[in-house]
Amino acid sequence: MGIDTEAPAPAVRETADPVLAVPELAPVAEFLAQTLPFDELSKENLYQAVGSILVQYYCRGEVFDRNTVQLGLRIVRSGAVELRDADNKLLDRLGEGESFHIGGLNAQQGEVQATVIEDALVYLLPDPVYRGLRDAHRHFDRYFTGQRSRRLRRAARYQSEPAIMLQEVRTVMSTGLLTVSASDTVRQVAQSMAARRVSSAFVMAAGQLAGIVTDRDLRVRFVARGLPPDTVVSEIMTSNPETIDGSQSIFATTLLMTQRSFHHLPVMVDDELKGIVTTSDLILAKQDDPVYLVQHISRQHDVAGIKDLVSGLANLMVQWVNSGLRAQHVSQVLTAISDAVTVRLIQLAEEKLGAAPVAWCWLGFGSQARAEQLLGADQDNGIIIDNQVEPGQRPWFADMADFVCDGLNECGYVYCPGNVMAKNDEWRQPLLEWQQKVRRWVSAPTPDAAMRVSIFFDLRCIYGSQVLCDELQAVMLKQASSNSIFLAAMAASALDIKPPLGIFRRFVVDRDGEHRDYLDLKKRGVLPVTEMVRLRALANAIGAVNTDERLKALVKGRHMTIVDSRNLVDALHFIQQLRIKHQCGQILRGEAVSNFLNPKDLPKMAKEQLRDAFTIIDDAQSAIRQTYRAGMG
Amino acid sequence: MWQVRLRRLPYTRRVAGTALQRCWQKPLPATGTDWRQVSFLVVDTEMSSLDADDGELLSIGWVAVEQGAIVLGSARHYLVQAQRSVGQSAIIHSLRDCELTGAATGAEVLQRFLAAAAGKVLVLHNAALDMAFLDRVSRREFNAPVLLPLVDTLLQEERLLRRKEQPIRPGDLRLHACRERYQLPPHQGHNALLDALATAELLLALAAHRGRGQFFPLRQLL
Repeated sequence: MGIDTEAPAPAVRETADPVLAVPELAPVAEFLAQTLPFDELSKENLYQAVGSILVQYYCRGEVFDRNTVQLGLRIVRSGAVELRDADNKLLDRLGEGESFHIGGLNAQQGEVQATVIEDALVYLLPDPVYRGLRDAHRHFDRYFTGQRSRRLRRAARYQSEPAIMLQEVRTVMSTGLLTVSASDTVRQVAQSMAARRVSSAFVMAAGQLAGIVTDRDLRVRFVARGLPPDTVVSEIMTSNPETIDGSQSIFATTLLMTQRSFHHLPVMVDDELKGIVTTSDLILAKQDDPVYLVQHISRQHDVAGIKDLVSGLANLMVQWVNSGLRAQHVSQVLTAISDAVTVRLIQLAEEKLGAAPVAWCWLGFGSQARAEQLLGADQDNGIIIDNQVEPGQRPWFADMADFVCDGLNECGYVYCPGNVMAKNDEWRQPLLEWQQKVRRWVSAPTPDAAMRVSIFFDLRCIYGSQVLCDELQAVMLKQASSNSIFLAAMAASALDIKPPLGIFRRFVVDRDGEHRDYLDLKKRGVLPVTEMVRLRALANAIGAVNTDERLKALVKGRHMTIVDSRNLVDALHFIQQLRIKHQCGQILRGEAVSNFLNPKDLPKMAKEQLRDAFTIIDDAQSAIRQTYRAGMG
Repeated sequence: MWQVRLRRLPYTRRVAGTALQRCWQKPLPATGTDWRQVSFLVVDTEMSSLDADDGELLSIGWVAVEQGAIVLGSARHYLVQAQRSVGQSAIIHSLRDCELTGAATGAEVLQRFLAAAAGKVLVLHNAALDMAFLDRVSRREFNAPVLLPLVDTLLQEERLLRRKEQPIRPGDLRLHACRERYQLPPHQGHNALLDALATAELLLALAAHRGRGQFFPLRQLL
């Protein structure tokens, strides 16, 4: 019996339609047909290409450069590859279905190096076949001409400037400072300002900044008062002006300037006067700028107006995220906006109800207090009233609470399902009542109670007397940090939710119900971190409430190592980033915003990072268990 | 390799002049050869029963691995004429009786297989099962089993997990479970060639991870 080794499979049929020599390779052909530019090829050519492919597997770290012997087009079947230029600048990241030809990338001057960053299965189309296809097919060829320059353009797009609002203010300040002496006359100063074409001058005395004089001061304090031209400038200057540190963000600077109606703000770098920012320095041209939104909210005269402004919040968030705003900044901005809405509602209520009879304070709890709000947050708030309050004065506060809570609800900050709202008599009390409540919680804790009250331990004064808020917090910290039984109860509740990782680090998803196959990023990722960090902060009597700030304070007080704290911050930021991206996707698709995510929908790299984040949370929980629940199981 | 040659000895006379002899005559790679210099033939079969005594070979698929890469052009898939009805096993491999008529005979397929396998190291996932069927056809034709060096990716994975002291649960050594551990993409199973391709990718992943780009001799895989 003769043997014909290269005989094609007997299953080949004679038909007009091109057929794969081996029909089982159809999945490969289908995969290729979905990648650029193979979609341009006819079936016949595609099938020929499939027959010439070599499948290779590379572990992470494998490098392709001009020394790579085996040339050809490498198509990523699974895994990921990174392209970097000679300066190690990232040009592109390639994932499933994307391809590169290392020889082609290095044909022009410049060195491109491709590194496998995730174990990769690669289809190699050998160079002769690749060249043949390019020669024979114009459309196929066009995709590759100038592939490198297109990649560079793409890379430039990726490396966009960080969002303007997050840049340090020193990058936009004016440094051509005009300084004058405190004993100079106003005429001299005005002449110098005119000569230098500046609208402000710094008044120095004994080498220190003594004051600032602006066009406005000349107008309001000098001309309008009809003072003589030889008045000394120190008489009309603003003494000891507010300054800002150069490392502050433009966002923070703009917020400060608009809130306090400053038009000029001296900038200090290393405690030395280095420049000045003016409102015109700050680029605020964009209407979607959150600073503008905050400003507009404070100018509304009814609930409907505020509601109108915040109704576009979801779309704005998508824009911010697209322009590179990170999750922690998005939540800061969203919190600033909900603060502004709350404050404006309180002011509107005051217009109706008159001034408060005694000192008081509007408290924000939970994520608003921590400045970690995202879209769809409900309201958690309360009121502390000065102990001097008379029974007859109490209704003012009830009316205030009703107006604000109802207004918030109307603006989309829905009523708290747990009824933690100033509307509820229980959370609208004089300071003494609050303090007694805290003592009761701490002295007789159960894990269930610890979980329910934990939200109150994240508190911030949104409006009114900061002193009342501080005094309540002082009692909380004193009570909590000295009571190990209470801390153990809180630890139990912090350990209650496990990160969703099973054996082999596989994701554990909901098995049934509405969210089958989904993970709850908030419940399983964000909450365990906030709870653990809150526990540690309370145990060490740290007053900060923002999770990042708490972690910083824990490191500073040597209650936590830098490594552990950074790991936790990274894990939290990654999960929050994922959550925000996911929510942006839902907004763009017109779906309701939720925290449920199917890990299968994630790109492989994000999946791995999510696993890492959950592993860090798991480790942190073990540490908590040892510290606060040793011997308690 | 000497073990394989030793086991062939008793059959030397019987196979004289056959396709099996021609296959055996091709020199085999030394066990100290780096895996990327070894030619492999990755094989999978489908059968009508898991028991070689009453089951029949229904199809076979193979693909060659040369210089550390799967050569898609070498992929082959053959249906084998069954003597009896496929019966219930059609549920698993979806080969129905009507498709198996007009297929090649077991002898023809074996000849092609031996020609493709000559000088190569066989690779199978759970080799014992498939080899039992191939050996049975071979004994019927040549009075001798196939007797080629082989790598069993299932045994390799099992050894690896045991060395890492990981608990092995039922299903952990299935082809798709092994592939998942190397982040290989999901594949459609239960076709001899698709499974052979999937096994070939697993071989590449497994060798790449253990070799880490360094010299990694064939003996470590046998």
